[in-house]
Amino acid sequence: MVLEATMICIDNSEWMRNGDYAPSRFQAQADAVNLICGAKTQSNPENTVGVLTMAGKGVRVLVTPTSDLGKILACMHGLEIGGEMNLAAGIQVAQLALKHRQNKKQQQRIIVFAGSPVMHDKKALEMIGKKLKKNSVALDIVNFGEDDGGKTEKLEALLAAVNNNDTSHIVHVPAGPNALSDVLISTPIFTGDGEGGSGFAASAAAAAAGGVSGFEFGVDPNLDPELALALRVSMEEERARQEAAAKQAAEEASKEEKGGEEQDATMTERASEGASEADNKKIEIADDDDTSLQQALAMSMDEPTSSQDLQDTEMSDAAAEDPELALALQLSVQDSTKDSSSQADVSKLLADQSFVSSILASLPGVDPNDPSVKEVLASMQNQSEPQQKQDEDKAPKKEEEK
Amino acid sequence: MSAAESATAIQRNQVDLLDFIDWSGVECLNQSSSHSLSNALKQGYREDEGLNLESDADEQLLIYIPFTQVIKLHSVVVMGSEEEGPKTVKLFANREHMGFSNVSDFPPSDTAVLSSDNLKGKPVVLKYVKFQNVRSLTIFIEDNQSGSEITKVQKIALYGSTVETTDMKGLKKIEDH
Repeated sequence: MVLEATMICIDNSEWMRNGDYAPSRFQAQADAVNLICGAKTQSNPENTVGVLTMAGKGVRVLVTPTSDLGKILACMHGLEIGGEMNLAAGIQVAQLALKHRQNKKQQQRIIVFAGSPVMHDKKALEMIGKKLKKNSVALDIVNFGEDDGGKTEKLEALLAAVNNNDTSHIVHVPAGPNALSDVLISTPIFTGDGEGGSGFAASAAAAAAGGVSGFEFGVDPNLDPELALALRVSMEEERARQEAAAKQAAEEASKEEKGGEEQDATMTERASEGASEADNKKIEIADDDDTSLQQALAMSMDEPTSSQDLQDTEMSDAAAEDPELALALQLSVQDSTKDSSSQADVSKLLADQSFVSSILASLPGVDPNDPSVKEVLASMQNQSEPQQKQDEDKAPKKEEEK
Repeated sequence: MSAAESATAIQRNQVDLLDFIDWSGVECLNQSSSHSLSNALKQGYREDEGLNLESDADEQLLIYIPFTQVIKLHSVVVMGSEEEGPKTVKLFANREHMGFSNVSDFPPSDTAVLSSDNLKGKPVVLKYVKFQNVRSLTIFIEDNQSGSEITKVQKIALYGSTVETTDMKGLKKIEDH
């Protein structure tokens, strides 16, 4: 939740016509800019964002730092592609715009999209970097598009000159099937140095991992949380019904209880808040390929050794409160981690568990430690491996048909 | 006033303004993160010779110190090493949020070129008339003694007196009877 004023420098040079990033480099860039603006204004309502273009007839400030998201998005329309990018001038104008920000308490940050070749030499860029560091301006560089010999080196040198305590970052995005915005979402540019904006980033990250370009169910959980929640709940209920059949069989590994306890606690917390980013991730998993599934799971599962701040903080809170619940949820979570092909099942199960736990948590009279409640949960934990696989076969097919 | 008299004036009616610094607003541009302003300003740290304020990207430093009350500034003490201690120090009264780019835009309230005596602790007496009504002080260290890349400041102490203003933090609500 750092209070920040950001200037985004857009590359609208001729090189942006290229289609190696779908649909075109310029469009991919515009999407990324929109997402960044959203993330910044979300993480702290007093944050301001401004936009300028570096190519065209010359460096032009489209909008000075403002917290009005609509204004920023509006100015992105009708941008023309042409000319050559002038990186040095762009950064200097951005610095000037930040200097004249209204709220002097905001930290200064510049985000540069460098898609075309860099004309300036390394020395000049280092001087600029030093000047930024001296005035305590942080710099994020998105290196995409053209990759002639010296560009990466020059940008790395610029970053080294600016970087003060890791507040500045550089991201290299190669052309490929993943959209530019999706790749950026998991970088520190979005997550704001590992803290803040994590809610937005997490849900967007889940969407990215799922290979879904929009949000889950096509509805932004941040813009319309009730609708998104309602859609998710009905999906979970449907899956729960299908799941009930699968759950009848085998006792499952009680060894996994310890590992996922924290993650389940996390899910409990989140489900009861209604934000449920974890749920989003799980549900996304059901819709995807195994590889991206595994990635998403790894992200969301938070193997106890890995570090995800969101889950870490909630772990200590919720784990203390609902150890039984956590145990129950954990079993199902762990099953899925072991068996990559059972993710469809797991996500349903998890969704179901968290749905149930969210209901339990919200009901004042219900004590999750109640034996009858525990019993119910215990039965939900039981899964048979063969039945899981059967269900997976059914589930992906069903999802394909949807 | 002779130098001797001005030196005694410090003991007579001037106090160390450390207590009147508003720490929440203190800023320093171009400081190195491991050697920050507190090493030069704060009680205890500033006496320690091993702890210095150091500059980062180049040799200049810009320090902004707001006060909790309006004060009159009489003199400053800037201590540092022979080679890397500051040389030219410019003081600006009541200028908020200056940057390196606008230090030359307006004349400083006072300028001091530090001698080796000053660096050892001899106070620099300022133009008192220019510092009668100071809410905030900006100290611009322009260069250092030897022209090296890094400027090191061991201690910065400000001496002066307060104008009779109310410290808002001391205001307490009167109980209704």
